[in-house]
Amino acid sequence: MRLEEFDAVIVGAGLSGLRAGLELSEKYNTAIISKVYPVRSHSINAQGGINAALGNLEEGKQDSPRTHAYDTVKGADFLADQNIAMLMCEEAPKTVLEFESMGTPFSRLENGLINQRPFGGAGFPRTCFAGDRTGHALLHTLFEQCVRFNVRFFNEYFLIDLLKVENNVTGLIALDIRNGELVIFRASYVILATGGFGRIYKRSTNSVINTGDGVGAAFRIGVPMEDCEFVQFHPTTLFGSNILITEGARGEGGLLYNNKHERFMSKYAPEAMELAPRDIVARAIDTEVLEGNAFEDEYVNLDLTHLGADLINKKLPGIREISMHFAGIDPIEEPIPIQPGQHYSMGGIATKYKGDVGETDLNGLWVLGECSCLSVHGANRLGGNSLLETAVFGRIIGKKLKERGLAKSFSKSMLKEVEERAFNKVEQLFSKWQNNEGKKPVEIRDEMGTIMNSNVGVFRNEKDMEVALDTIRRLQKDFKEVHVDTSDRKFNYGLIRTLELRSMLDIAEVTAYAALWRKESRGAHYRDDFNKRDDKNFLVHSIVSREKDGQLVLKTKPVILGIFEVKEREY
Amino acid sequence: MEKTQKFLIYRNPGNGTVRYDRFEVPIEKGMDVLDALFYIQDHLDSTLAFRYACRGAVCGSCGMTINKVPMLACKTQILSINDIIEPIDKFIKNKNIEFVYGEVPSWDKKHEILIEPAPNMRVIKDLVVDLEIFWKHFREIGPHFTREWNYKQPESKQTPEQMERIERYVYCILCGLCWACPINNKNPNYLGPAQLAKASRFIYDSRIQQKQRESIISRVMKEDGVPSCERFFICNQVCPKNVMPGTAINMELRKDFVNQNEKS
Repeated sequence: MRLEEFDAVIVGAGLSGLRAGLELSEKYNTAIISKVYPVRSHSINAQGGINAALGNLEEGKQDSPRTHAYDTVKGADFLADQNIAMLMCEEAPKTVLEFESMGTPFSRLENGLINQRPFGGAGFPRTCFAGDRTGHALLHTLFEQCVRFNVRFFNEYFLIDLLKVENNVTGLIALDIRNGELVIFRASYVILATGGFGRIYKRSTNSVINTGDGVGAAFRIGVPMEDCEFVQFHPTTLFGSNILITEGARGEGGLLYNNKHERFMSKYAPEAMELAPRDIVARAIDTEVLEGNAFEDEYVNLDLTHLGADLINKKLPGIREISMHFAGIDPIEEPIPIQPGQHYSMGGIATKYKGDVGETDLNGLWVLGECSCLSVHGANRLGGNSLLETAVFGRIIGKKLKERGLAKSFSKSMLKEVEERAFNKVEQLFSKWQNNEGKKPVEIRDEMGTIMNSNVGVFRNEKDMEVALDTIRRLQKDFKEVHVDTSDRKFNYGLIRTLELRSMLDIAEVTAYAALWRKESRGAHYRDDFNKRDDKNFLVHSIVSREKDGQLVLKTKPVILGIFEVKEREY
Repeated sequence: MEKTQKFLIYRNPGNGTVRYDRFEVPIEKGMDVLDALFYIQDHLDSTLAFRYACRGAVCGSCGMTINKVPMLACKTQILSINDIIEPIDKFIKNKNIEFVYGEVPSWDKKHEILIEPAPNMRVIKDLVVDLEIFWKHFREIGPHFTREWNYKQPESKQTPEQMERIERYVYCILCGLCWACPINNKNPNYLGPAQLAKASRFIYDSRIQQKQRESIISRVMKEDGVPSCERFFICNQVCPKNVMPGTAINMELRKDFVNQNEKS
């Protein structure tokens, strides 16, 4: 058993993890561990942009952080914690300026300032972008700064479980993927930045690696999940492969048509049309599908042909490339076939009520980015706010932990005892998986993804979700008998994907459980059987944990209001 | 009847013993080579090792050699594989280059897709190669800005034209396929096409500090950098993102700086 000792260990090397790492490395002996090389992280996939009320465009001169915050809270169907949303939007201009000074190649206006495009649910053109590959531009920038400042990385290490003594995190146990060795990382601070977990759904824009490893590890050690019923379905994913087609395509003027060549959004959001928030557009498309207005009964068209070759090549080159390679369609000539697909997880690891942003109920454990529920996106995230969240809170949480200093450590013998116990537990788990004679992981994973898609998707109801919950629980039982070859642990992705499934089953169960509990429709959570928002009973965050007997239990946490009045949402 | 595709795959547990395994995978429209590898790992042999992440040709994880041509597995559609691979294959053959990983057993080119690791890198296991040297060379060019971080408006200016000047190089995904270059094969110190393209991204950025620009130029103009390129242009052919490192090296760096370096 190898031991690595640090003051702070960050798990995940996407935008959140890298930004926190840059900050913490200034003061603490810090390591970033990641199951992939940093530039392979899912942030690389982000396309459309990052929001900040810079007011660089004439039409955006009246924009302000407060307006940005209001749009965010309204888009969130008023479930966001308003103080956190406000903080994020106030910090947004600084964050974009910081990226620019680090070298990010933003798209520019003729006058040399950063260009901004309109995005769904936003009152002004506020989304700064680098073509349609903004995530690539930002992730490479942060990685380059990490090279500049010699941030320490452990690449291809997989987080298995967190370790704690009493109510304090003391580190984690990880698998060194390259040689199969189990490694203990001992640290006073563990910061989880492990990203989203869209792969609990079959049809998702997420990378194959988005499996909620941090959420699962936190949950197993007793830190609850918050608001997991809120799952964003992106309206425009490529039909078939579900690769993302950015909202920026509509921001630049792309139009949605059904098989009758109607711009059907006029029925659902007559003012905002194609640029209504994502939950509304996704439901509109699925309604068109249900009503027989879809092509081949499955998809609608996103038409960019009227935008012309020049605009498409300049502002949406990635979209053109994706359409050509993965669907054999050139959007300059033909419309793109699209369907909604899972895209973003508003919920995640629960944070402490009225604690510092990112703090959890387990001392020393901090969370940020998509794996966390801070909660800034509430029931529905606005496009352009996720990249923003990562960098804003990476910086803020990093600074906060520097201020707080290191907690007094526990005795070596206490730490060792916990570490050895964890080590033995993992060894036992691996040998059990080797000896089991049950299902293959793929059978369980496929059934989970399929039932989550069909029964806990865009439209939900009690009966479907009960079936989903029963199914997931049966799959949990099957998983106890799962068989995978663990004899050669070096680059054993069969083993890695089984460890990922271990977390995903918990997250899928909690998602279905919380969605059943929430008997209302709000943001991305839409129920046919309770199709109205119910502020009297449900203007609260859901907090789900597992009791000792294995049962799930749901508590609520108040939403922090007080800045903006809670109103009906209209677009 | 279900349509299937046969694969012949390089296996190497990392101890030097090489073998080639055969698998048959059911296929459907839209399936790419990465999907097929997942099918094999899920259903036929869970120990088959290969890297992956985004499955959308932006993360750069799944570079490997497919039918003797360096490709991203996720970007290689099975049903149109010949259309994708043939032009590049021709180019490589014209240069008398062949990527050899072991003795391939009788390969039925018409019916089998041959999968081998990415070229010119040490194999760790199966299709997983050691990229440490690739990252070491990346770090060595000093690929970053050195400005103070700024928090005040206005941001430093750059015209759309100045940004477009570097855009092609910016979107290199660091997949390592361009290391198929024969120079990387014979000279482990050669910085590599991706690294030189990345250097161009900084050198030609209108905003970078002159001192850092000069430091990057002086690094890449050393003997193991730009001067080592022998204009095979394999990098331009195999690059899955059309970054054109060979063009950066020869039409930009060599043209702009080679004399300058001789003077100094």
